Amino acid sequence: MARRYDSRTTTFSPEGRLYQVEYAMEAINLAGSTVGVLAEDGVVLAGEKKTTSKLLDQAKQHEKLFQLDDAMFCAVAGLTSDANILINRLRLSAQQHAYSFSEPMPVEQLVTSICDYKQGYTQFGGLRPFGVSFLVAGYDVHHGFQLYHTDPSGNFSGWKGYAIGVNNNTAMQIMRQDWKPGMKTQEALELTAKVLVKTMDTASPTADRLEFGIVYKTPEGQVKFRMLKDAEINKLMADATPKEGEEGAPASSS
Amino acid sequence: MAPGQYSMDAKQHTMSPVVTGATVIGMKYKDGVILAADTLASYGNEARYKDVCRLKKIGEYTLLGAGGEISDFQYLSNLLDELADEDWLHEDGCSMGPKEYSSYIGRVMYNRRSKFNPLYNQFVVVGKKQDQAPHLMYVDHQGTAFEEDFVATGFGMHLGIPLLRNNWRPDMSLDEAKALVTKCLEVCFYRDCKAYCKIQIGVCTGTTVEISPPTTINHFWGHGAWTERRLEETSDSTGTW
Repeated sequence: MARRYDSRTTTFSPEGRLYQVEYAMEAINLAGSTVGVLAEDGVVLAGEKKTTSKLLDQAKQHEKLFQLDDAMFCAVAGLTSDANILINRLRLSAQQHAYSFSEPMPVEQLVTSICDYKQGYTQFGGLRPFGVSFLVAGYDVHHGFQLYHTDPSGNFSGWKGYAIGVNNNTAMQIMRQDWKPGMKTQEALELTAKVLVKTMDTASPTADRLEFGIVYKTPEGQVKFRMLKDAEINKLMADATPKEGEEGAPASSS
Repeated sequence: MAPGQYSMDAKQHTMSPVVTGATVIGMKYKDGVILAADTLASYGNEARYKDVCRLKKIGEYTLLGAGGEISDFQYLSNLLDELADEDWLHEDGCSMGPKEYSSYIGRVMYNRRSKFNPLYNQFVVVGKKQDQAPHLMYVDHQGTAFEEDFVATGFGMHLGIPLLRNNWRPDMSLDEAKALVTKCLEVCFYRDCKAYCKIQIGVCTGTTVEISPPTTINHFWGHGAWTERRLEETSDSTGTW
């Protein structure tokens, strides 16, 4: 029934739906868990990598988290190839703004620019939409620390905590209960780890399957971005994993 | 056409300005930054348009003062208004300040000169955005751009800068600052044939940007050296041979 209206991305169905956009969002729901948490003095993004294999050539391949500017980075869920195109555009937009105006681009303006670009693919050209959702985390002097989510329709909103990819509903549920205003970056990291433990496929989440990144304020007042090291990730995940015999521990399989 | 050549017709390139403004003086003071310029647009050596405002407010916090070709100043003013409107339309609680505008102007000027079609101007871009430090930038038709505590364009560079160097202090009050720029423009009026005795002063305080209505500088021509008759007079004063 829907078949007649799916092949053209830029046409509405009789019920007023854009099927290609919706199908794109379906693709993203199958992506690796990606979580973002906004704290008072920083933002955390983390993602579960889907491609982990001994045969991978480079030990550290970026798949989920990408830096966009000095104090901005994003997490990707969806088609990696589509994501690469958009990330290049995001990085270029941010630098072009800094070149013209000698000031870092405000986070919301960068998110708006990429969303307007994505929206174009849902309205003209006859090309399919980008099968990517982003969580964009950043800092600017105008609005401080911010977390945004964007989807293939070109829509976006600001969030205190958000999750995309598999089990995002479970993740959001946990965040709804446990996110508190005034959280510090460390607490946000712990919340993120807690959420990932519940949503990840594996019983023993380790650093080789995860990427963690933060934008945070140093004690001297500078804002920096960094990716967490393996040791830090392993510690966070170990602390968040409930011990055997405790409530919530994964049932031992025989 | 050579790569980058703007047009076959050389007349399309602003290589020599037609209607020009003269000196612009900018300087920081204790609470902000001020800009001053006279209200004359000269047509070559003719003092043609005597009521021209060469100062322009951009956005909420910035002032632009223009010397050089007036039509290019008007063109850039339109570009800047479009930029300010776009900024306002974002509705995102961020507004651009003097740093962004002066950087943008610098980029435009440099890119135009690189295409061999310059905007023939010397600009002083000043402003103060709320509690940030006051900002003052010089940008010209070659794309030269630099920040300073006080600058002057045109003749003001030669006649005014020495006065500014001797008298400027970072903690000057607004009245002292106004008096100093007025003095510089007064000297310019005496010695620059393309200057004028009506001036306007613009002030950026961090919360307001105001351009004053034109005021006239006092000028004195009753010097003995000027009025005494020095030429020896002969009895035969018809002066023919």
